[in-house]
Amino acid sequence: MLIAIARDEVAPRFDLTKEALLLSISESGEIVQRKSFLLADASGDELCDLALSRDVGTIVCGGIEDEYFHYLRWKRIEVIDSVMGPLERVIPRLAAGELKAGDILFDRAGESA
Amino acid sequence: MLKRIEDLVRGECPDLPSLLDGLPMGVALLDGGGRILMLNKALEALTGYSRDEVRGLPCRHVLRSRACIQGCPHGREDGPDKGIETDCINRHHRKIPVRITPVRVRDGENRPVCILDIVEDLTALREIESRLSQATGQGQIIGRSQAMQKILNLVPVIAQHDSPVLITGETGTGKDLLAESVHKASHRSREPFIRFSCGPMPSELLDAELFGRIQAAEGELKPGRFQQAHGGTLYLSEIADLPLPHQSRLVQFLDEGTVLPVGATKPVRVNARLMVSTAESPERLVREGRLREDLFHRISAIRLHLPRLKDRGEDLGFLLHHFMSQYAARFKKQITGISPRALRIVSEHDFPGNVRELRNIMEFAAMVCPGDTIRTGHLPGHLVDLAGTGPAPRPAEKARKAPRKSAEGN
Repeated sequence: MLIAIARDEVAPRFDLTKEALLLSISESGEIVQRKSFLLADASGDELCDLALSRDVGTIVCGGIEDEYFHYLRWKRIEVIDSVMGPLERVIPRLAAGELKAGDILFDRAGESA
Repeated sequence: MLKRIEDLVRGECPDLPSLLDGLPMGVALLDGGGRILMLNKALEALTGYSRDEVRGLPCRHVLRSRACIQGCPHGREDGPDKGIETDCINRHHRKIPVRITPVRVRDGENRPVCILDIVEDLTALREIESRLSQATGQGQIIGRSQAMQKILNLVPVIAQHDSPVLITGETGTGKDLLAESVHKASHRSREPFIRFSCGPMPSELLDAELFGRIQAAEGELKPGRFQQAHGGTLYLSEIADLPLPHQSRLVQFLDEGTVLPVGATKPVRVNARLMVSTAESPERLVREGRLREDLFHRISAIRLHLPRLKDRGEDLGFLLHHFMSQYAARFKKQITGISPRALRIVSEHDFPGNVRELRNIMEFAAMVCPGDTIRTGHLPGHLVDLAGTGPAPRPAEKARKAPRKSAEGN
């Protein structure tokens, strides 16, 4: 699984992502491998290449343009898009198989965690 | 104070949401930390999110604009509230060109209260711009050759700076278009791009045209090209045609940022980027005393040279097809190609007028061509005549070409 990230949260835009986190999750929901990748430039193309070359089955990202979305789906990669939230909350939910497109996991201003 | 704004949004004053909803452009109301307090209806439609869904979230995740990610406009605390043209991606995967103008709301004691992000959808404007630019073929410089790619790659870099630019290249190579491309890629793109040809003109008229004139009767300034270009770019073509005294006034502008209008006693400050061009070698112009050396050294901070069309390799074929499609669309014709013989005649031409000459040839051919293929007979007569005066084809070549000629129907 690949998460497009910006610092410690899901990157707001797939095509402007400079960093990716690659996770291998076991069937029991355990994270067995975690690897970070820095891209030379913020680029949706490079991110697609990375996902394809690593046989990624699922991509988690924020906003994603139609062309990338359909291309990845065509390549049989599941895209969980429009996810907003810090990695510390996104990863456990992803590992548990409960993360859905459009999930918002940030604290709202004025709310406690 | 922020608490008061939040109360207003949450309904203590029902007029604020309805006031913002009544606006035709998108508006996001943000707290000092860049979190969403409210979206108006237009912005809900643009982003695909309702105000309740995103209240309290960081705006970069809701607007998802390029500007949010590559240099948040809210970071420039003391900067003017200036619009930024960028793009955003909405919930439905649509990339939308937008202009975002952050407005900082302050209280009576100038303390920041909140930020209003005005978001204008530029889709319709961009479509019109693209249509017009395709129809007129103006404002874009294209090329696939290595030489042109090198120049085109430099455009966005050069556009980031305000240093003067000197563009050289033979007539018809695209100096004006290159200058305009640099302007369009720069932060001055929303400001005027003023083009002025330094052709022969009486000195006093030239003075007034360039630097402005104080009207004797009203004492008001009639703006010259410098004042018209304020905030934007002033492009002077054929700089060597400008008389030497005027050139020295350009030096003054480049050194001090001021110009002296005709009839004025005090110089006027002008904020404009200067770009100049010449079809001749600037070094030779300096040697011949037609270009002031001090001006040359100042304007050549950034220097770009456009190659001749004949030196642009694959660009000849690429531009030929580009102009063919462009003029076919303009004249509403179904032209899809050019015959091999016509192509050979065009390719063997020397093009002293460079890209402009090629464009004119294809305009003529598209205008004259009644069918779907441009043939020799549709090319301008002088081009065919010139080709006829070239070396005669060898007999074997002639025999090979004969049936093709009849097939072309020439």
